Amino acid sequence: MSKPTLPAAPTPTILPVFVFLAIGALIPLVLESGFYIRLAMLVWTYAVLCMGFNLLYGFAGQISLGQPAFYSLGAYAYAMLQIKLGWSPAVALGGSLAFVAVVSLLIGLPLLRLRTHYLAMATLAFMLVENGVANRWIDFTGGQSGVEVPALKWAGEEIGRTGIYYTVLGLAAVVLLLHDFLIRSHLGRGMQAIRDDETAAQALGVRVDLYKLRVLVLSSVMAAIAGICFGITSLRVDPSLSEFHVLVSLLTIVVMGGLGTRFGPIIGSVIVVALPQVLTGFGRFETAIYGACILVFLIFLPHGLSGLVERKFQWRADRATADAKRRKQVLKEEVS
Amino acid sequence: MLIKLSYLLLAGLTNGSVYGLIGLSLSIIYGSSRVINFAQGEFAMLGAMCAFFFMVSASLPWPLAMLAMIVVVVLAALALDYGIYRPLVRRRAAPLTIMIGTLAGAIILYGLAFVVWGPEQKFVPPVLSLEPLRIGFLITNSQQLSLIGLFIFFLMLTWYILYRTRFGLSVRATGVNPRTALLMGIRSERIVQFSFMFSAFISGVAGMMIGPLLGGNVGMGLLLTVKGFMAAIFGGLGSPFAAAAGGLAIGMMEALMAGYGTSLYAEPSIFVFILMVLIVRPYGLLGDYEAERR
Repeated sequence: MSKPTLPAAPTPTILPVFVFLAIGALIPLVLESGFYIRLAMLVWTYAVLCMGFNLLYGFAGQISLGQPAFYSLGAYAYAMLQIKLGWSPAVALGGSLAFVAVVSLLIGLPLLRLRTHYLAMATLAFMLVENGVANRWIDFTGGQSGVEVPALKWAGEEIGRTGIYYTVLGLAAVVLLLHDFLIRSHLGRGMQAIRDDETAAQALGVRVDLYKLRVLVLSSVMAAIAGICFGITSLRVDPSLSEFHVLVSLLTIVVMGGLGTRFGPIIGSVIVVALPQVLTGFGRFETAIYGACILVFLIFLPHGLSGLVERKFQWRADRATADAKRRKQVLKEEVS
Repeated sequence: MLIKLSYLLLAGLTNGSVYGLIGLSLSIIYGSSRVINFAQGEFAMLGAMCAFFFMVSASLPWPLAMLAMIVVVVLAALALDYGIYRPLVRRRAAPLTIMIGTLAGAIILYGLAFVVWGPEQKFVPPVLSLEPLRIGFLITNSQQLSLIGLFIFFLMLTWYILYRTRFGLSVRATGVNPRTALLMGIRSERIVQFSFMFSAFISGVAGMMIGPLLGGNVGMGLLLTVKGFMAAIFGGLGSPFAAAAGGLAIGMMEALMAGYGTSLYAEPSIFVFILMVLIVRPYGLLGDYEAERR
């Protein structure tokens, strides 16, 4: 009798990640106009912001409505470290990420003991506080007008728009690879276990508190990276980075793209950035339309657009497992 | 010295009444459906903006304007119930998903209000006069006093409905266990619908009365939601009265902090303080008492 082998469930490949990155790398060659490149940079910025939120809420099930605060903190820290302390951009990047990590750790330690509603409201309060301080501490943050972010320089010269685009793409690529790696590894499965049942996850040896804290810090750092991307594209940081509309965009992207999916944040960002360009007279209705989109997707398509695509692959995986089960059954009958 | 303190306390009492009323309405909805309604502050915003719309743009007398405002707010609550709560509950969505649904509702209400009224600060006309009124050595006005009066009135009304009527009994039963209540012949969905409408009514009236004092703008809802929630968890989300008491406490602390410290850090320090309390007593200061009473 030949040795029975059960087919392993098809592991998701890393290929789509490289497809997305390749498309991203080709964009400046195809689109000449600076306007479109700016839009593409915005897509990557939002994608990075939302990947952090996707890990935290979509996978680990911990909600933080304070992501815009970390987004703006990252951008402010990056600008301030260069202006006030005269650090070089690379060092300021590391410094600001470390700063945001420490802040989120300090906030996460007490807050992660809270659950669901409490966690959501507490983090929302944190966002409002951060926004209030950015608006009112005028001596340090410049109030409404914000602070200028020094332009990126290479060998003493300011780099052009394409150069900035590739810098943003590089940062986004790191986050995308990390996001994908985490989801496909045992860490991702641990996070999903926490989302579905904390007690069961603990019983299976997942260190729940540690995982939650790590994911919170990681997602805050990702939000900070997004903030820095925004800073180097627009060359200005102001309190509007942590205002309500950022949270609205964030939720729209994640829910439309698909919560807890691998590529939902990217697909969602493309739509949310492109939508205002396609629809004329969108500006006045923007918030209402986004709200309606969130609602419709929550009710009718809880896995979002990415879920539609991934379900196709899921169906193939399901068929493979069904196949395996049938063979197991056959095997059992042969033995008995 | 004493005069300053009493002024601060009066201001705290006024703002605290509003936070308390929103906390009360949040807690009523939470009590019957276990949902935190993120759109609660938007109801108050609608109240203030409708007061502006009906009294200034349509120049109606205030009782008519108030009726029209209540119609608008209750319709919004029904939309929230039929459009968000029921479809999500019937699809067995997780509590957090329903909460995001109500946040989407808040976003839609805010977005529509933005289309109608734009981002500018609006002057909301006072229902009662803003003429100075002397009580002993304190100078206040009837609008301010009416807020405190409303707070007491709604507190009594809620207490009466919840604890002295058959209907209130079924509301409380639904809160304890919706399935059992359903088996006892209570229509849980109706109860939830009532709690949405009643709490929208309370928040709308509170918004209409605070409008002249705070100034109305379409973005005011979010902060009111958060403060109302802070009030509710500070007192204890399980009981409407504990939530209302939490609101008063927050209003007082805010006023004292702004009067003796700086107003810049009044909000942050209160949020931090409440989070500290929450870590020590996760069910709020008065939470356990209410748990025993059930």
